[in-house]
Amino acid sequence: MKDSLVLLGRVPAHPDSRCWFLAWNPAGTLLASCGGDRSVRIWGTEGDSWICKSVLSEGHQRTVRKVAWSPCGNYLASASFDATTCIWKKNQDDFECVTTLEGHENEVKSVAWAPSGNLLATCSRDKSVWVWEVDEEDEYECVSVLNSHTQDVKHVVWHPSQELLASASYDDTVKLYREEEDDWVCCATLEGHESTVWSLAFDPSGQRLASCSDDRTVRIWRQYPPDNEQGVACSGSDPSWKCICTLSGFHSRTIYDVAWCQLTGALATACGDDAIRVFEEDPSSDPQQPTFSLTAHLPQAHSQDVNCVAWNPKEQGLLASCSDDGEVAFWKYQRPEGI
Amino acid sequence: MAMPRAGLLLRKASRSEARPSPRVWGRGERDCIKPMKVDKRPGGGVAKIHIEDDGSYFQVSQDGGTQKLEKAKISLDDCLACSGCVTSAETVLITQQSHEELRKVLDANKTAAPGQQRLVVVSVSPQSRASLAARFQLTPTDTARKLTAFFKKLGVHYVFDTAFSRNFSLLESQREFVQRFRGQANSTQALPMFTSACPGWICYAEKTHGSFLIPYLSTARSPQQVMGSLVKDFFAQQQHLTPDRIYHVTVMPCYDKKLEASRPDFFSQEHQTRDVDCVVTTGEVFKLLEEEGVSLSQLEPAPLDSLCSSASAQEPTSHRGGGSGGYLEHVFQHAARELFGIHVDEVTYRPLRNKDFQEVTLEKEGRVLLHFATAYGFRNIQNLVQKLKRGRCPYHYVEVMACPAGCLNGGGQLKALGTPSKALLQHVEMLYGMVRTEAPEEVPGVQELYRCWLQGEGSERAGHLLHTSYHAVEKASSGLSIRW
Repeated sequence: MKDSLVLLGRVPAHPDSRCWFLAWNPAGTLLASCGGDRSVRIWGTEGDSWICKSVLSEGHQRTVRKVAWSPCGNYLASASFDATTCIWKKNQDDFECVTTLEGHENEVKSVAWAPSGNLLATCSRDKSVWVWEVDEEDEYECVSVLNSHTQDVKHVVWHPSQELLASASYDDTVKLYREEEDDWVCCATLEGHESTVWSLAFDPSGQRLASCSDDRTVRIWRQYPPDNEQGVACSGSDPSWKCICTLSGFHSRTIYDVAWCQLTGALATACGDDAIRVFEEDPSSDPQQPTFSLTAHLPQAHSQDVNCVAWNPKEQGLLASCSDDGEVAFWKYQRPEGI
Repeated sequence: MAMPRAGLLLRKASRSEARPSPRVWGRGERDCIKPMKVDKRPGGGVAKIHIEDDGSYFQVSQDGGTQKLEKAKISLDDCLACSGCVTSAETVLITQQSHEELRKVLDANKTAAPGQQRLVVVSVSPQSRASLAARFQLTPTDTARKLTAFFKKLGVHYVFDTAFSRNFSLLESQREFVQRFRGQANSTQALPMFTSACPGWICYAEKTHGSFLIPYLSTARSPQQVMGSLVKDFFAQQQHLTPDRIYHVTVMPCYDKKLEASRPDFFSQEHQTRDVDCVVTTGEVFKLLEEEGVSLSQLEPAPLDSLCSSASAQEPTSHRGGGSGGYLEHVFQHAARELFGIHVDEVTYRPLRNKDFQEVTLEKEGRVLLHFATAYGFRNIQNLVQKLKRGRCPYHYVEVMACPAGCLNGGGQLKALGTPSKALLQHVEMLYGMVRTEAPEEVPGVQELYRCWLQGEGSERAGHLLHTSYHAVEKASSGLSIRW
């Protein structure tokens, strides 16, 4: 299992600081990283190595916690503890901050673009999730302020094809939101985790959602639309969500991130025990009660907490990770034989 | 579907899940910064805090002795002064259980000597009346008369309608806008002008955008506070009483009006009395009715009171322009007439991105002469303020309200029983709209009061009694008060 995940290289991305998050651009050619040094860095390959192509350092007054590329790849959003979200426009190797989204009361914890490219979501320690709309003139307007969570909201992620938004919180729940008339509403609350939910990832089809938590488990949730074959009850016209699998006993500390590979379906986790793990669904398992096997476990992947794992969207098996140690590492994952 | 939390700023510690209406503006997870009074005993050493099942706190010292700790009480004044938690009111205990306060005063009156009694005046808002009318299935007129009967049964002396004081708020807003529009060349902050009748909006503006936003706010007092001036100045004189001898209660559709009433600007240093002593929400009036075992519909109606004889009517009157006072409508029509000589019969509202954000324009020969908007609810206020900050606010005047759908949907209104909340809101809107409207210029008694009580429109007295000012609140210093 050790050989299933092989180190390709490391870069000291945010020296003397934490590297908090990574995002591959849709083309898979660039990797954005962000950190406690208040900067965003853009990495690309030159031959066999990864080099820093741009540094976006004038955007934020405090830690940059998350970055997200727009579906078209021309914009990058950065969410910061300074309570703002910057929108950067890419012009070859240059990035220009075209707008700063304000309004959250305190630290913005996450930002995510909807698949349409017209909507953006942010979430904050102020317990709220905001939905923003962008028009043709790159003007952003707040469309909804959602106060469903009762604590700090850690992460937001959009469904891969629908305008369905998911959020994860310190209140131990995952919530889902959709548009209704001229506003957004919370249409589901997923309960089950016993502690802070740190991150979320939809599977390639969008039918399932993975969540990871301070309770050291990963949970897989499945969407059951009304009148589903399995007879899962729904109230009204909203789908129900059920937890169909819990991965427990694999992680010895908080799981900070989970990433679901859109090419292969492999699940990678970033853990506070400095390790990276990969899980794959057993092909013969029941879709309503799937089982996942641990196919890679790399202890000491970093010298400190691993904060993020990110699968390259175009190159199978290419995984990037980052850590409190300020480094970004690149890995080649290969499914072990006989699984 | 749950949109928890009613009201912008104040709410007692209860969370109702089923209400799709006003939302708390998600404020920070900050601990209240009001310092706890802790009596330190010398050489006490380390004490442990023990919490009993009933929620009371006991300090257990090293020798095992226990001492019950006093709950920290937060007064409304403290709330106003701080820019910390403000909302998410679960953790803030509000000392004034308002309908109980009213009871205390009424009970005290029963046993007090005649010279020591207080004259109790209740001013009811048309929005609260509409909410009660819906619950008890009465017309607004019957509700007004039966409420009057109810309050008088409890020992209240006079019951007024804040639609009367609203005339002054509207007239002053109209005048102020025209003045500022004409004075645009002399001041970059003359326009846009924002309404200021909503205390939720005002508190947010003072605390979050302070000195930036304040110059744009209308200085006209809200109907509640104009009534405060009317009752404690005009009416007190009429009754030959000093203002402190009157206990003035208002009935309002939200909790934020309690904060407004406790602003230092509305406290008379000279007479050591507030213009409004107590605010009860529609819900708290309902509680009073329940506690008295009274069903409003079964009461015999009583005649309505009025502040001056020429204003007496046996039916309430109201104003056009929606359930939040009609500021945009009145200012628009007045400005069109005064500034451009254009008579506007009907004001047409054009909804923008959502129904709480609407636009009104006055055009002539292709030119836009006036561009007004309504912005209700936090998301629309956010967008408005951000536009203003970027210098891209196209409006001359904006009617701003904190609650989506406006005051009829306030956090203190009666909640729906069984029926969906949307249907109830529509019903309340319909009842509100049933009341005959009158142009403020034509309401009997108003012009007379300007003449006799205020010594003329635009006078110094009018400025003092019908206007107010705002104060930027410094953000609580970081570090100690913020939990990272």
